[in-house]
Amino acid sequence: MAVKLEAVTRTFYENLEKGKIMGKKCKDCGAMEFPPRLACNTCGSTNMEWAEISGKATMHSIVLPAQLSSKPEYAPLKPFAYGEIHLEEGSQFNGVVRGINKKKRRVLVDKLPINVTAAIYQRDGYKTVVFDLDEGQCD
Amino acid sequence: MSITKVGKYMRSVSIIGVGCTPFMYTVDNPETDGLTEGEMFGYAALQAMEDAGVNPRDVDFYFHGQASPLAGSNYLTPNIQIGNWFGMKGKASIHHSEACCTGYYALEQAVNAVASGKYNCVLSGCVEFGDCNAVPNHPYKREKVPMEKFLQTTAWLYDRNYCRSMMAGQELIYDDAAEYYKRTNGLTDEEMDDTLCWMSINNRKNASKCELAIERKTYDEIAKEHGFNSAIEYMKSPFNPRTGDFLRMSGIEIKCDGAAAVLVCATDMIEELTHGKMQHKPIEVLGVGCGAYEATNPHFEIRATEEAVEQVYDVTGVKPEEIDIFYANDFIITSHLVAAEIAGYLPKGEGWKYICEGRTAYDGDKPINTNGGRTSFGHAHAASGLADLYECVHQMRGDCGERQVKKLPKTAMLRGYGGAQNICTYIIRTKED
Repeated sequence: MAVKLEAVTRTFYENLEKGKIMGKKCKDCGAMEFPPRLACNTCGSTNMEWAEISGKATMHSIVLPAQLSSKPEYAPLKPFAYGEIHLEEGSQFNGVVRGINKKKRRVLVDKLPINVTAAIYQRDGYKTVVFDLDEGQCD
Repeated sequence: MSITKVGKYMRSVSIIGVGCTPFMYTVDNPETDGLTEGEMFGYAALQAMEDAGVNPRDVDFYFHGQASPLAGSNYLTPNIQIGNWFGMKGKASIHHSEACCTGYYALEQAVNAVASGKYNCVLSGCVEFGDCNAVPNHPYKREKVPMEKFLQTTAWLYDRNYCRSMMAGQELIYDDAAEYYKRTNGLTDEEMDDTLCWMSINNRKNASKCELAIERKTYDEIAKEHGFNSAIEYMKSPFNPRTGDFLRMSGIEIKCDGAAAVLVCATDMIEELTHGKMQHKPIEVLGVGCGAYEATNPHFEIRATEEAVEQVYDVTGVKPEEIDIFYANDFIITSHLVAAEIAGYLPKGEGWKYICEGRTAYDGDKPINTNGGRTSFGHAHAASGLADLYECVHQMRGDCGERQVKKLPKTAMLRGYGGAQNICTYIIRTKED
């Protein structure tokens, strides 16, 4: 049997502690699962291997945090926005992008998709992945 | 192209009875303070059976839906704990929970159970105390749930592995659909704001004529009380502040308590089961489409709705132009615009104009959420879907009085949404003699 009982989530977060952002790449179809999971959501294969992501990505939508959609613990991220992220390797998911405020949004919204780069961010008790707006995107 | 092809039912199944409590704050009213799960579910269930003319002992099985049985009721097996309350003692049952989509999946579950041939007549009900939790170790007392406590439990809707830690999925629920709609259809900020406000105005206008709704004062009346010339002027004032990036306070659900139920039956056995006592036409469930995208996935509501809508049109052969009335679970009000457009009920990219012109209110040509939806009828989380079905069935029977839509609806689509995020879309049609 190809499928393995594996603590994928723990391995993902342990790698963040080591400064590595890892996904799982499908050895059959080449798709990247990020964040990593047991099986490929593109072809269904369980023939997956760990692979470090480049961190290069694009942001395709911009939503700013507001009273309903923010929490006090997000304050150190400010300014930031939520949006649709596409990794260079192909995965698509919702993420946080630092460096976007209301004024910058007005410029960026006409330039979508915009370039962003993954970063490791310390939360209370564990590290996670956020993104930073690349330099020059607001020019 | 949908990712799942849905098969046709093994036999025809029809809705023969519906029941619904008022949506309310039970503990705030001396008459309703102390109501329990069995009483609320039981009332809706017995009303549905009475509506159909069916004796509880002739119902084969029941489904029970509740979004938050542990936090709200201190129940682990909520279907069993209400089992003696409505004449079905000893009948088998099962509990299901899809958060705000529970009441929509409630119909799907019951229809599947009958369509498979296992049962002939099945009850499906949902109950929720969205405004108050059970006081532990007391037989009936409940206490109000402060918003902070409510938000603690709604956080459990989201995936613990990644969604909560990456922070975006659970926060995008409020504004993702509005951002997507505005950007992809080229609306100005002002046009999007108007559209969101008008959805709330239309919902409230509908609820003002609905005796079971929790908020019945129109925004025209509220505006006048506050010295404004019009509802839209009030809606864009500080009295209706932005609480999201796009969303205003009026576009959020009113959480409350309620229960609702539906009784379904094999269509060819209706006469035998009701002994000719049913006073209305059955409504056939033509098909149900389902989709789900966990909240880490971009535009989860839109993608899952597209999937479910395609499935249901494909399996039923119904065309969008045949839909006479539309319901969407709109605890975030943008839902009813995006769902109606994906369903083809409103023209793509133009639906916002219909809304701003009032055409989607009960007296318009494209009625949506004639009971007032989640922002005015109220949101008793699990029960809301079946409350929408209750309203839709009564519209299709033509007995909604002042809020009866102009043209008697023959075919309806209802789109459920919730639980970060399930989608369940069904098409029902009045069965002619």
